[in-house]
Amino acid sequence: MMVKKKKLSKIFDYFRDEDPFAGGISICSGCPMELLLRFMSKVLGKDIIIVGTPSCSAIVLYGQNIGSWHKLSYYGCLMTGVASSATGITRYYRKIGKDVTVVCFTGDGCAADVGFQPLSGAAERNENFIYICYDNEGYMNTGVQRSSTTPFGAKTSTTPIGVARRGNETTGKNLPFIIAMHKVSYAATATLSHLEDLAKKLIKAKEKKNEGFAYIHVFSPCPTGWGFPMDLSIEVCRMAVRTNYFPLWEAERGKFRLTHKIKKSRPLKDLVRMIRKFSHLTDEEMGMLEKEVHERYRLIEGVTQMMPLKETP
Amino acid sequence: MVKIKIHTKYEGAWSNADELLLCLDTGSWRTERPVMDEEKCNYCGLCALYCPTQCMIDMEDQFVPNLDFCKGCGICAKECPRKAIRMLPEGEF
Amino acid sequence: MNMKYKGEMRTITGNAAAAYGAMLCRPDVVALYPITPQTEVVEQLSRFSADGLLDAEMVEVEGENSAMNIVAAAAISGGRVFTASSSWGLAFMYDALLQTSGFRAPVVMVNVNREMPGILAVSTGQQDMIGTRDVGWIQIIAEDCQEILDLVIMAYRLAEDFDIQVPVMVNYDGFYLSYLSEGVNIPAREEVDVFLAPLKEQPERPKLVPGGPLGCGTHGIEKGFVELRYKHCAAMERAKNKFDEIDRLFGESFERSYGGQIEEYYMEDAEIALLASGSASGTVKKVIDSKRKHGLKIGLVKLRMFRPFPSERLSRAFRGKKAIGVIDRSICFGWDCGPIYMELRALSSEIGLIPMMSFIDGLANMDISIVHIERMIDSVYAASQGKPYQRVNWVILEE
Repeated sequence: MMVKKKKLSKIFDYFRDEDPFAGGISICSGCPMELLLRFMSKVLGKDIIIVGTPSCSAIVLYGQNIGSWHKLSYYGCLMTGVASSATGITRYYRKIGKDVTVVCFTGDGCAADVGFQPLSGAAERNENFIYICYDNEGYMNTGVQRSSTTPFGAKTSTTPIGVARRGNETTGKNLPFIIAMHKVSYAATATLSHLEDLAKKLIKAKEKKNEGFAYIHVFSPCPTGWGFPMDLSIEVCRMAVRTNYFPLWEAERGKFRLTHKIKKSRPLKDLVRMIRKFSHLTDEEMGMLEKEVHERYRLIEGVTQMMPLKETP
Repeated sequence: MVKIKIHTKYEGAWSNADELLLCLDTGSWRTERPVMDEEKCNYCGLCALYCPTQCMIDMEDQFVPNLDFCKGCGICAKECPRKAIRMLPEGEF
Repeated sequence: MNMKYKGEMRTITGNAAAAYGAMLCRPDVVALYPITPQTEVVEQLSRFSADGLLDAEMVEVEGENSAMNIVAAAAISGGRVFTASSSWGLAFMYDALLQTSGFRAPVVMVNVNREMPGILAVSTGQQDMIGTRDVGWIQIIAEDCQEILDLVIMAYRLAEDFDIQVPVMVNYDGFYLSYLSEGVNIPAREEVDVFLAPLKEQPERPKLVPGGPLGCGTHGIEKGFVELRYKHCAAMERAKNKFDEIDRLFGESFERSYGGQIEEYYMEDAEIALLASGSASGTVKKVIDSKRKHGLKIGLVKLRMFRPFPSERLSRAFRGKKAIGVIDRSICFGWDCGPIYMELRALSSEIGLIPMMSFIDGLANMDISIVHIERMIDSVYAASQGKPYQRVNWVILEE
């Protein structure tokens, strides 16, 4: 009998409550968003109200008739309504003097596109709730259409590869940065490969929402829509961090800090070649994607130096 | 007048998890299943942490997948630092 | 705490009357976004808040869509809510309006009627209300400033009634009423508290509670969907008599009542009649007074409730008349007539096959003038005498 040398990962210590979701829910195999949903619920605990929108997550966040897929209290609204509905719930609870943790859980299509105005409005008003955007860089639930966070060159069902046009023509919005520039109480990026980083940010968001708006932008690659094997989901997340494609940072009231510095970044090619939506990229197109990734990283590196956020003990 | 049959008490679009918790037989989606090598496993729990369906059951000295819900994505096998999990075709069982 | 308000008689605008009505009902959450001709409602509520008369969460939103989502979610959480809008603002909250009624959130809002589609117009017209007639809301219409205030108070009794739980939209004509100053009897807060008190004694409606098993916004699947639709329709039907009852109770409390779903003016012995709504009704009453002096047996039905449509009471009121004219301050695209006219025509078999005339008037802030109304009455009278008549009349454009 072999001696067990290692003990259980300390990430387990971040769990407050049991997984509130049913064992089997209809999310694609290997989808990191399912992990995010379950992980988030365990870390934040059961005393939350989730506000969801039509998206891949709505299929399980909202019930069916009288039945529910989870034990959490939720409000299922339209894509335009997530940040504003959360405002309504939070404000009512504030009026009656009860503390409540309201969590918006939505995709990038809602956050960056059709639900952007209410998101920006709630961020500007510094409303007291948590907003989690899982970014799979497109409209996955409707069948992989382009959104305003789709990266340059990516193939989607509305930016197909043809003779006249080749993939997504814009560089996409840097949404987490835009929200951080609202000088909200808390804004952070996170992903599913770095679970302790994610857990810490969730806990911090729960604290910071007492002061104002707390936003977490979670990189959540889609095996079905992007074209990579389902067992590689976490590896894609990890590689996105290692290549600085998706740097991990946090910001409080306009002051920034990198939470996971990469000593020597991997070439972007290491990420891109894992994903079929980039498989058509020419060297020139690859160069343009690299330029955007580099510029975004320089931007965040720059603000962490110009407006540094001291690490809280 | 034709009688109307009403099933629920709610006027609005309410669901109640206490009345009905929905659940899918996601175990039937699987084409491969994770198989643990108890010798190699050091009970670090990373397979359980990364499992999207969170279906790893803690046996106190190792984790075993709940095959009722395991979708067979293979993330546990990929992420296991000691390569203690292999994905084997369902046909072999 | 809301500061004491002891009530007074004051000359205020229609917008201010709406704001007073809302303030007196102690809403928990108010969403504010300006739009002409509603803006003064928002300003007045903010003033009440600053002066300590309104202890509510005031959300100065970034658009009407958010305003409706905020109040709907706050109502589903258990709160009393208020918001106000008009025309394009109402259109911008269209998706949220549908959701609010589907969730059966007892929201009360004010819609200050303004012209809408296509041709930009900063002027009155009921097209915005008509454009949202099928969103599942109760829609009621005020004639003057006093009625605006009273209807806002009654709207809470109706929306939050356990047997109803349907959002209510209080409509009044922009410009004509929004900026019109009239003497308004503003009740004391205690009186309004007493009037609304029965709402606290009814069973609690379900609400969002952290950690609780309830969720709102579930997918309606097959029969589950149809059942909720059926319940919504049934509640709308119940709202008709409930509104009559609330109007009567309001009369007992405040010594003012309006007839409920419709107000009948000289209808008992009338041989011909007009159907009108909103601010124009007052002018019609004046013309009827003078026509009556000349022996013409004419009456008016003022439509106070547009959704649900008061089909039973309208049928009863018009049965036995010789001819009817309907004044619409909006048009019905796809039909050639006014929308209220079109709806009344659906009651033809109950009312009887008599001449029914559609008068499209008062669009884009044009006056529904005494001259116009006299002309309408003359045409309806002629039709009642068996003379040939034109079914649809664009009164403004007539030579």
